[in-house]
Amino acid sequence: MIHLYNVTKEYPNGVVALKNVTVNINKGEFVFLVGPSGAGKSTFIRLIFREELPTSGQVIIAGKSIARLRPSKVAVLRRNIGVVFQDFRLLPDRTVFENVAFAMRVLQYSQREIDQRVPEVLHLVGLTSKAGNYPYQLSGGEQQRTAIARAIVNNPKILVADEPTGNLDPETSWEIMHLLYEINKRGTTLIVATHDQKIVDAMKRRVIALDRGRLVRDDQEGGYGL
Amino acid sequence: MKLTTVKFLIGQALVSIKRNGMMSLASTGTVAISMFVLGTFLLLALNANLVADTIESNVEIAVLLDADATPEEINSTYEDIVALDGVLEVTHIPKEEALDRLSRQFGEEHDLLQALGGVNPLPDSFIVKVENPRMVGEVAEVLSRFNYVDKVRYGKGLVEKLFSILDWVRWLGTAVVVLLSLAAVFLIAITIRLTVFARREEITIMKYVGATNWFIRWPFFLEGLFLGTLGSLLATAALYYSYSYLVGYVAASISFIPLITDREFLLQVLLCLLAGGAVLGAVGSAISVRRFLKV
Repeated sequence: MIHLYNVTKEYPNGVVALKNVTVNINKGEFVFLVGPSGAGKSTFIRLIFREELPTSGQVIIAGKSIARLRPSKVAVLRRNIGVVFQDFRLLPDRTVFENVAFAMRVLQYSQREIDQRVPEVLHLVGLTSKAGNYPYQLSGGEQQRTAIARAIVNNPKILVADEPTGNLDPETSWEIMHLLYEINKRGTTLIVATHDQKIVDAMKRRVIALDRGRLVRDDQEGGYGL
Repeated sequence: MKLTTVKFLIGQALVSIKRNGMMSLASTGTVAISMFVLGTFLLLALNANLVADTIESNVEIAVLLDADATPEEINSTYEDIVALDGVLEVTHIPKEEALDRLSRQFGEEHDLLQALGGVNPLPDSFIVKVENPRMVGEVAEVLSRFNYVDKVRYGKGLVEKLFSILDWVRWLGTAVVVLLSLAAVFLIAITIRLTVFARREEITIMKYVGATNWFIRWPFFLEGLFLGTLGSLLATAALYYSYSYLVGYVAASISFIPLITDREFLLQVLLCLLAGGAVLGAVGSAISVRRFLKV
């Protein structure tokens, strides 16, 4: 599903964010991406949904190298990848329903399909009663649920989350992580970059550890490590 | 494109105009004011041109014939002048009429002919208008070499000076209009850029969920088109009414100044301004968005 071959990413300012990283992630896997700040987790995530291109090496998603995609194909790639951020990135002037529906409108679904699908997803993330609310009326956890709903509304094959619990309290973090786990069980490949040692240790999933741009560990049922 | 999408995109444009109320107002106002100023100077320049044209077309050559030329000779000279290249119109002024005009200048109570001892000393003459006023010197030169022609007068020296002044007026008018057009383009472009910049986050999110570039650009394009049209519509309406009022006022008080009153021409000019504003708005916002599409 996702293959990184010997990927190096150097930013124009000279910072080397990833160095010779090779990783294979299979369909349906749940992968934690761990490491200290500046280890390259965010760059890893950005490469997957092609916000950045590798300086050298290959990033192959669903059999296609991202480097050679034309802009219209980038849009198609992103429709198969849901993204969740630490800071939620919701449109502040739209309701929960409209924020989620937005991702469907981009794919030109009909209003009927939207009216059918959005409530389903809102039910899945537990926000049915908040459909008409605006982001500022929600708690952090609810905002992140909205973002997750938006990310999965089009049934992407891959869901990447960059520090999804970074702004949330421990209890809410657990709820979000549980939700991500549920989504993974439905067949979506999940990649979660996180600092949250307790969650990583408890969930016993595959852990890819980065440090200063290098891949330092890749355990099938790992803990956060030190 | 699906109908749902068309509806959504138009809806997006309208909603975002409403949502970004202050920015929409600022863009419309900028377009309206820039276009109004530009239109004012455009009309000024066009009118200055018309005045220049009118003055130029009044330039004429007086051809004085030999005093003893016979009617046949006068007639053949007339034919020759009419046949000359570049001559637009020739008016024959017989010596009697010339004397009449002269005596009228002296006053009705004088009998000039009698004072001159019953002999009219004035020659027959022609008033020649040329097709291209700029050629007046050349034509006069040719005419002076005709048979039976005594003197040719066209205000040599003065005419050339007049032309150079008129050239200046035209050139200045064009320069001012060009500069103001550029100023309008920049002002409008900057305002649009600000409105787009205020929404860069929204654009980024659109990109993240897999929107194609045209999908993001269309609402901005429509919005720019709408605001540009609205702004220049305000400007042209204001121009039309204030110009009509001004023309009426000038015609009543200083009637010798020729002004553009041709309604059809005026509407064409205003229509160009309107189209200019609309295109500026639409293209400006479509271009401004591009910078934020590279995510």
